[in-house]
Amino acid sequence: MAPAKTSGPAAQPAPGVLEPFEVFRQEKDGDPMRHGGSVMAPDPTLAIHYAREMYGRRQESVRLWVVRRADILDLDDPDLLQPPLDRSFKKPGGYVMRDKLETARRQAGTTKPKARDR
Amino acid sequence: MTDPLALDPVLPERERSPQTFSDDLAHDERYRRFEAHVQAGGTVEPRDWMPDDYRTAVLRFVEMHANSELMGVLPEREWLMRAPTLRRKLALTAKVQDEVGHAQLLYRVAEDLGKPREAMFDDLLAGKTKFHNVFHYPTVSWGDIGIIAWLVDAAAIVAQQALRDSSYGPYARTMRKICWEESVHIMHGRDVVVTLVTGTPVQRAMVQEALDRWWGPLMQMHGPRSPREQDRDLAWRIKAKTSEELRQEFLTIYVPRIRELGLTIPDPELGYDPMTAAWHYREPDWNELRTVVTNHGPMSQARLEFRRLNREQTAWVRASILGAPQAAA
Amino acid sequence: MTAAAAADLLPATRNALALLLLAMADDEFVIGFSDSEWTGIAPILEEDVAMSSLAQDELGHAQALYRLLAELVDDGRDADGIAYDRPPEGYYHARLLDHPRGDWAQTILRRYLYDTADSIRLEALAGSSFAPLAALVGKIRREERYHLMHAQTWLERLALAAGEPRDRLLDALSRLGPDAGTVLTPLPTETALLMADITSATAAEQEARWRASIAPTFERLRLPPIPPTADPGTARTSHSAAFHELHAELSSVRRIDPGATW
Repeated sequence: MAPAKTSGPAAQPAPGVLEPFEVFRQEKDGDPMRHGGSVMAPDPTLAIHYAREMYGRRQESVRLWVVRRADILDLDDPDLLQPPLDRSFKKPGGYVMRDKLETARRQAGTTKPKARDR
Repeated sequence: MTDPLALDPVLPERERSPQTFSDDLAHDERYRRFEAHVQAGGTVEPRDWMPDDYRTAVLRFVEMHANSELMGVLPEREWLMRAPTLRRKLALTAKVQDEVGHAQLLYRVAEDLGKPREAMFDDLLAGKTKFHNVFHYPTVSWGDIGIIAWLVDAAAIVAQQALRDSSYGPYARTMRKICWEESVHIMHGRDVVVTLVTGTPVQRAMVQEALDRWWGPLMQMHGPRSPREQDRDLAWRIKAKTSEELRQEFLTIYVPRIRELGLTIPDPELGYDPMTAAWHYREPDWNELRTVVTNHGPMSQARLEFRRLNREQTAWVRASILGAPQAAA
Repeated sequence: MTAAAAADLLPATRNALALLLLAMADDEFVIGFSDSEWTGIAPILEEDVAMSSLAQDELGHAQALYRLLAELVDDGRDADGIAYDRPPEGYYHARLLDHPRGDWAQTILRRYLYDTADSIRLEALAGSSFAPLAALVGKIRREERYHLMHAQTWLERLALAAGEPRDRLLDALSRLGPDAGTVLTPLPTETALLMADITSATAAEQEARWRASIAPTFERLRLPPIPPTADPGTARTSHSAAFHELHAELSSVRRIDPGATW
């Protein structure tokens, strides 16, 4: 079986070489971290400065995560993430009850309750 | 923002886009699926497979946009040291800083498509790649600063908003961030213009004179009209609107706003025709556009030389501290 | 708020405070204006954005200090009037800031020398009896943390990179060193400041503290120590040709139509 398609941590580059660092940001308290973009930097110290400038100088973020791109594990294998067989039992859309509910109400002589009673 | 393809009609043969859109290209199944995907509104990410010509087209588009932000810094930079109040000084410095930031965002997108930053700077300085016409002109007075920040940025934002749904994901997301940041610049620019217009006679004359000089380049900015059907960048949804659509949109929004200030637009033929639902205007000088974007504009060489010199003077920092490779000799 | 607090001051205290605010505001204004020139032309794009932020911060501090000064002296000028409408001889910034921004090494060194000295000055003002100043200083100190981080990291990079970066840094040090202490040279009205508890330490104490604070870094980076301040008597009162040029530029648009609103 073919291994899952990912990319993962690479060896540390020589010091002083520019490499990309991905920046994730949190807009306000309670929000998830979302990808903002990337900066080129020779090391984590300057990467943090530059991330702050590009994604935080306007007070637009309350938190930043700064990560070497080479350290990110990337999974985009469709066999793992979008496997072909039916999985509707795992999703709300897999439960369509309209016809069965109508049958049940007819049998019981009831009608569909108003919204606030449901 | 301005599609490099849109400049083809005014460029000499040897400088035009090397690949013309053609339905005769060999199509394999993967190519067909790719086309169907983008035409249905799908997005392309850097690690996805993409046809070489799509990659080339996106790179060309993004690279010209990045170059324009980098060169666009220079006309306004000259006035950083002359801003007449603390607030204007801060606003203008922040605006120019944002442009540098936009250059960073756009060069990053292009780098992730495979072209190193230094190679892009080499090509810009050698005249192999281009930057937008408006940045080849001098800034003569504080009035220019108002007009540029308001109307040049407005024309750019009309194009940039239309790019927010570009098929190339990183570019689309960058456009959304840029559009959000640019909205402040336009407000700053309009504030400068309105302040001058309601100021002393010297100030009013200054801003009208600036508008007189900038109107021509503004009308040329989106490029000449080109037919939709032959537009490769439209077909692949790299962009969504034609040059003429962008120009019409700019006129619709901004002509009334310029006129309400009592400023005169230096085009006696400018008017809106309700029958055709379109603005008519004196034909922009496409010869001027060609002269300018091929780096023969009034400030083209001076600004490229300024960048060349600055790059040389700061090379020692990059070479030894930041690890970036030296420019090609 | 400032007017009420100012009304409580003795005239001698008010004059001393005004001179202090002018010195601080002019320092921030001149270094901010000078460093803002890097916007668009710094060595890499990301660093360009960073340096511009630092310069904008300094200008923001200057603006706040000029506003405080305008309220204190209450002579009809607003912050812009004080900032812009004086002849070059009327500026009261430290001679360290008279030097041009120079190359990247000179800019970094000047930022390091200024920010470290300014942080000692601000520390002595943190508990100032003049409440509006104490409040402003509290905010400025929080912003200055970022400045110190940036200056420190770059000073190290330049000092530890053998060859051109270190050579340029040492050149800059030979030029700026004798003027570095001018930020903390005593003001003529120092006694009044101390008596009114505007500041909590003499200039001499502050300068000693500053030299002691940077000595370990200089030793570790094997940089020659900062010499005693040259010409302390004119620390803030004789301005260079470079500053005259800066002043001519920054006032050029305003002079077109004095009194106009921009």
